[in-house]
Amino acid sequence: MAVKNAVKSAVKEKVISKDFKEYIRDVNPDVGLDETIKRLTPEKIEKTIKAVIGGRSSRIKAVMNTCIHCGLCAEACQWYLSNDKDPTYAPVAKMRMTIWEMIKRNGKVDAEFIKQCARIVFTECNICHRCSMYCPYGLDITFIIGMVRRICFLLGVIPQRQLDQAQAHIVTLNQVWLSQNDWLDVLQWQEEEVGADFKDLRVPIDRDGAEVMWLPLGAEPKTGTYHIERTAKIMYAAGVNWTLPSKDVWDSSSMSMFVRDFVTMQRIVRGLYDNAARLRIKKMVLTE
Amino acid sequence: MAISISNTQELAIPEKLKNCDWDTKEKLIADINEWKKKFTSVRELVTSNDGEKIATAVRNQDKRFTTCVNGESWEETFERIYSLKFNPDNQLISLVFRDYEWAVAVDHEIWEEKFDYLWNLTLSPDGKSIAVNTRTGEMTSGVCLNGKPWENTFPEVRDLTISPDGKRTACHVQIKKRADLDIHAFMEGIWTVAVDGNPWEKSFLTVWGAVFSDDSQHVASVAMTDMSKYTIDVDGTPWDNVFGAAWEPIFKPGGSDVIAPVQTPQGWTIALNGKPIWNNFSQVWRQIYSTDGQKLAAVVAVDVGKWTLAVDGTPWNTVFNQMVLTPVFSPDGKKIAVVVKNNNKWTIAVDGNPWYESFDNIWDPVFSPAGDNVAAKAEKNGKYVIVVDGKIGKKGYDSLWNPVFSPDGSKLLIRCIDHDKYYRRVIPLNEI
Repeated sequence: MAVKNAVKSAVKEKVISKDFKEYIRDVNPDVGLDETIKRLTPEKIEKTIKAVIGGRSSRIKAVMNTCIHCGLCAEACQWYLSNDKDPTYAPVAKMRMTIWEMIKRNGKVDAEFIKQCARIVFTECNICHRCSMYCPYGLDITFIIGMVRRICFLLGVIPQRQLDQAQAHIVTLNQVWLSQNDWLDVLQWQEEEVGADFKDLRVPIDRDGAEVMWLPLGAEPKTGTYHIERTAKIMYAAGVNWTLPSKDVWDSSSMSMFVRDFVTMQRIVRGLYDNAARLRIKKMVLTE
Repeated sequence: MAISISNTQELAIPEKLKNCDWDTKEKLIADINEWKKKFTSVRELVTSNDGEKIATAVRNQDKRFTTCVNGESWEETFERIYSLKFNPDNQLISLVFRDYEWAVAVDHEIWEEKFDYLWNLTLSPDGKSIAVNTRTGEMTSGVCLNGKPWENTFPEVRDLTISPDGKRTACHVQIKKRADLDIHAFMEGIWTVAVDGNPWEKSFLTVWGAVFSDDSQHVASVAMTDMSKYTIDVDGTPWDNVFGAAWEPIFKPGGSDVIAPVQTPQGWTIALNGKPIWNNFSQVWRQIYSTDGQKLAAVVAVDVGKWTLAVDGTPWNTVFNQMVLTPVFSPDGKKIAVVVKNNNKWTIAVDGNPWYESFDNIWDPVFSPAGDNVAAKAEKNGKYVIVVDGKIGKKGYDSLWNPVFSPDGSKLLIRCIDHDKYYRRVIPLNEI
């Protein structure tokens, strides 16, 4: 009961931004935000912000100098609409409370500010690009949000699950930390499972010159193994000459994209194409 | 179902090829259709380098697997058989699984060492050494080289590279256990390279692309040192310089110098032991030295979507808008050829000149021993063909493996499937 009450009171507790008094949110503990900011120093924050923003590219200037704060972007945002039109959820407010403030203060912001930025750009924006469609000037607001995400990524301040998946991609090039042995073992096991019911139904690995290479999402071999079985049945019924790669990269997702980890993004795409080229397949089929 | 093949690691050993039969014009080695009648499943076919053998894993009526070589099946059966490949002595190497244990099989001999899982079956360049990644019952991973497992195992290992002399192995290894969702473990840097089971002292956020030097004494790898910093680590010591990104390194032949593509604020270039040596490009990768180490080539993008090859830093004049794959030097290092893709058509470019003919698919170029001819397997209009110096062979096949030149360069060994029959054909170049 005590635990229940503690949870209840924690949920009710609010946090008020010291930088923007109108930004009031429920307390939402997350080690990816609460713990990681302890590693930050003012110097590291300033250096990182300046490295990302650099000489303030024309793309940033275009957004900053052209925005007339009309607020039309707000009507595009599902976060704004689903929070009783709270203006702190408007895309323009998200820019104002993050990157504009970083620029205004020349990168001299504290760790709590970075935590607040991370909360805004990772948990209150889906980078869906709708705001840019509503903007009368077509300003690329999502690009700005992406830059803030990159600053947070470089500082290691990202909600735990997103950070975990981004780290998984860096290390394993899939989003679920799947080992190379588990990837292959699952494919072989699924071939056994499905092969019992059909004559010569395959989950073929590294078939040279196949028409199609299927690249699943990381979760499929990890927790949705039946997807592999079903895909094999579809390919069998359709008579498709298909294959899966034995080597990295096989996961067609990219959590790295959502945190703007540019190098891992390249590694993922390059790895998919390397496999396609190695096996000389003709088409890549991706889950989504 | 059509016949499917596996294009495994090619081990063209000149001495072995000298002893091949270069006189018999055609041999019918196996009727694959007979195999299909006999077995309930015939898996991807592999051939020996000299073309005398063809093999695959087959499933019997009792749903158990065995290997079939030139139509002769092994009496031993297994629950799974994977990763089949021939070594230059025409022995069939495979990974076999029975009674919850994996082992390596060399022809009909099975290694005594058994493991919970085996993968990344790798042969040394001379084909004499066999290495494989291992997973133990204690849920740790390592390597087994020629039947001898690493003394150290790790929570996880990824990738496997074997030294040119076949005596050493290296992997990317996780040196400390990591709990699910433990985002702090990553920040500690728990990945490094282990050589012969011994991890480097220094560890990193991640590592990849480990490679041995020619003399098998050194190992280099990409290392991620910070969220946006990458460098090359050689024998456990990182370069002094860090970069925004780096691709897989290689050693200069005959020494311990290391080169790798790196991203600087000015663009991508090639770095030698940490110092940029080329001009900048939009991208640089797939670098390769000529055998004598005198020439260095790499795939470069001179602008977005404009791919070509640069030799010693000078790009070809011809650019391709889709892909340029890993280049191949002629044995004497004087010529270089590479597969290119432009406007959805594949071909091969030699010294900057793409062949006139284009293809639906084309495989890596093969130089004649003297370097004066280039041959390749290609696909056009639903048939596989042999192409020599851009000229398409007369005959189309149902399946093909890469062509092999005779030691004097006058003939080609063609390993082909024609109407479900596997033939070994020897054809003079002027009759292709």
